[in-house]
Amino acid sequence: MTAYLVAVGIIALIYMLLTIGLNLQYGYTGLINFGVVAFFAIGAYASALLTLAGWPLLPAFVVAMVAAAVVAYPIGLLSLRLSDDYLAVVTLGFSEVVRLVIQQERWLTHGVQGLPGIPRIFHSLGVGQYAELATLAALALCNLAAIGLMLHLVRSPYGRLIQAIRDDEVAVEAIGKDPRRLKVQVFMLGSGLAGLAGAFYAHFITYLSPDQFLPLVTFYVWIAMIIGGTGRTTGAVAGSLILMVFLEGSRFARDWIPGVSEVQMASVRLALVGLALILFTMYRPQGMMGVRR
Amino acid sequence: MSALLAAAGVRKSFDGFLVLDDVSFAVPERGLTGIVGTNGAGKSTLFAVVSGQLEADGGRVTFADADITGLPPTRRARLGLGRTFQVPREFAHLTVRENFLVAARREYGETLRSVFIGWGRVRREERALRERADAWIEFLNLKQVRGKPAGTLSGGQKKLLELGRMLMLEPKCILLDEPFAGVNPVLVGEISTRIRELNATHGIAFVIIEHHLEALKALVGHLYVMDQGRIIADGDPTAVLAEPRVLEAYMGGVI
Repeated sequence: MTAYLVAVGIIALIYMLLTIGLNLQYGYTGLINFGVVAFFAIGAYASALLTLAGWPLLPAFVVAMVAAAVVAYPIGLLSLRLSDDYLAVVTLGFSEVVRLVIQQERWLTHGVQGLPGIPRIFHSLGVGQYAELATLAALALCNLAAIGLMLHLVRSPYGRLIQAIRDDEVAVEAIGKDPRRLKVQVFMLGSGLAGLAGAFYAHFITYLSPDQFLPLVTFYVWIAMIIGGTGRTTGAVAGSLILMVFLEGSRFARDWIPGVSEVQMASVRLALVGLALILFTMYRPQGMMGVRR
Repeated sequence: MSALLAAAGVRKSFDGFLVLDDVSFAVPERGLTGIVGTNGAGKSTLFAVVSGQLEADGGRVTFADADITGLPPTRRARLGLGRTFQVPREFAHLTVRENFLVAARREYGETLRSVFIGWGRVRREERALRERADAWIEFLNLKQVRGKPAGTLSGGQKKLLELGRMLMLEPKCILLDEPFAGVNPVLVGEISTRIRELNATHGIAFVIIEHHLEALKALVGHLYVMDQGRIIADGDPTAVLAEPRVLEAYMGGVI
C-alpha cells in the first residue's frame, strides 16, 4: 500500500510541475497552450535517450529542460505574432506532430514498441522503496523551487507586466512595451518545466511509448489548473492533487459500480473527471484556491 | 512654428469603405486641441492611426520632427506619444498603483534576468517609481482606491487611471478619447482642471476627442470638426462651432 501511495504521489508531483508551468503561461500571461504534452514528451524522450546512451542522470535532466524550452522558442515566435487563439491551435497540432514523429522515427525512438529499460532515478539505492522515496523527495524539492520561483516572479515588476499582458495586450503596447518578448520567454519557461516533468516521468516509469503522450495529458493539466484556481500558484498545487484524487479514486470506484469491465472503467474515469470539472465550474468558478473577483 | 504632432493626407478604409479621407491636422507644442464630430466620423480611427494601433493606407504622421508613419505603437509610445481609449483599457486584475507602476519606463526590472539576479537593483528602481506613481495618484485624486483592483473602479476613475498611466510614460503629447464620456458633472470639471494643470506646468500637449462640447470649448485653443472621414472645419472653438456647415453636419441642421 505504501508503495502504491508513493507511486501516486510521484505522479501527482509530476502533474504539479506541469500545472505550475501551464499556470505561468495561461493563468498569469494568458497564453493558451494546448500542447503541454509535447514539451512533456520532448523532456521525457530527451532524458531517456541520453541516459540510455550512457549519460549520467543529472545532465540528462538539464538537457531535457533546455530542449523543451528551446523547442518552444520557434513555436512561440511563430504563433505569438498572431492572436491567442492561434497559439491554441498551433500548440495542439504541434503536440500531435511530436507524438507522430516519436511513433514514426523508429531508428531513434523505437516507435510504438517503445523505449524500455530507462534507468531509474537513484537506482543505486536499489529497486525497493528507498529509491522511490528519494524520487518523491527530489520531485518535492523541484516543485518547491518552482513554487518559490512563481511566488517571487508574480510579485516582481516582470510578473506585473506579464499579468498586464494577460489583462489587455493593446494597452501594454500603448504604454510602450512589447508583449511579444515576454510572451515568448514565458512560453519557454513554462515549457522548460514541462520538460523537467517529462524527465522525471521517463525515469520513474522506465518505459516510454508514444501512446503515453496523447492530448489527454494536456487536458488533465488544464483541468488541474482550472479546478485549483487559474492564476494562483497555490491553485496549481491544490488542483494537481485534486486531479490525482479523482484519477486514482475513480480506480476504486469499480468496486462499487457493478458490471463495469476494466476497459469500460477507463471511460468511466474520464466521465468522472469531466463531471468534477463541470461541478467545479458551476459551484466554484474561481477554482479551489481562487478569489472571486 | 513647427508642429509637435501632425498628420498629412491620412487615408484609411475598411472593406472599401473610406473612414479617413485625406485628413490633415497639426498640434503645436504645448497645444490643447479638440476634435469633434458625429459618431462614425472617424475620430477614434484617426487616433488609432496616429498612435499606431491601425496602419494608414496613405499619408504621413510626424511627431517631434520624426516620421512615425510606419512605427509600431510601442515605439510611438516610447517617443512620448500617449493615448487613452474610448472604452477604458485598464489592467483589471492589477491594483491601481500597479497599473501606474507597470507603465513606467524601466531599465532593469522587466527583464527576465531580474527575476533571478539583481534583486537589490529592482528594489531601488521600484522604490523610486513608487514615489512617482503615488505623486500622480495623489494628483489625480485616486488615493482612496490605490490598493483596489482597477477592474472595480467606476467609469470616471478608470478614465483618470488611464490618464495617470500615460503620465508615468513622461509623454510630450497625450491623445484623450472621450475623457468626459460617462463621467459625472463634478468629475468633468475636475478632469478639465487636471488637464489644464498638466498642460501649463508640465508642458504636455493634449488632443481631445469629446462630445461634451461645452467642457471642450472651455478647454481647448483649437478645434477640428470631422464629418464622414474628413475635416470640414477648424479654428477657434467658439467660432468654428457657430459655422453653419458645422451646425449642419454636427447637429444634423436641427438647431
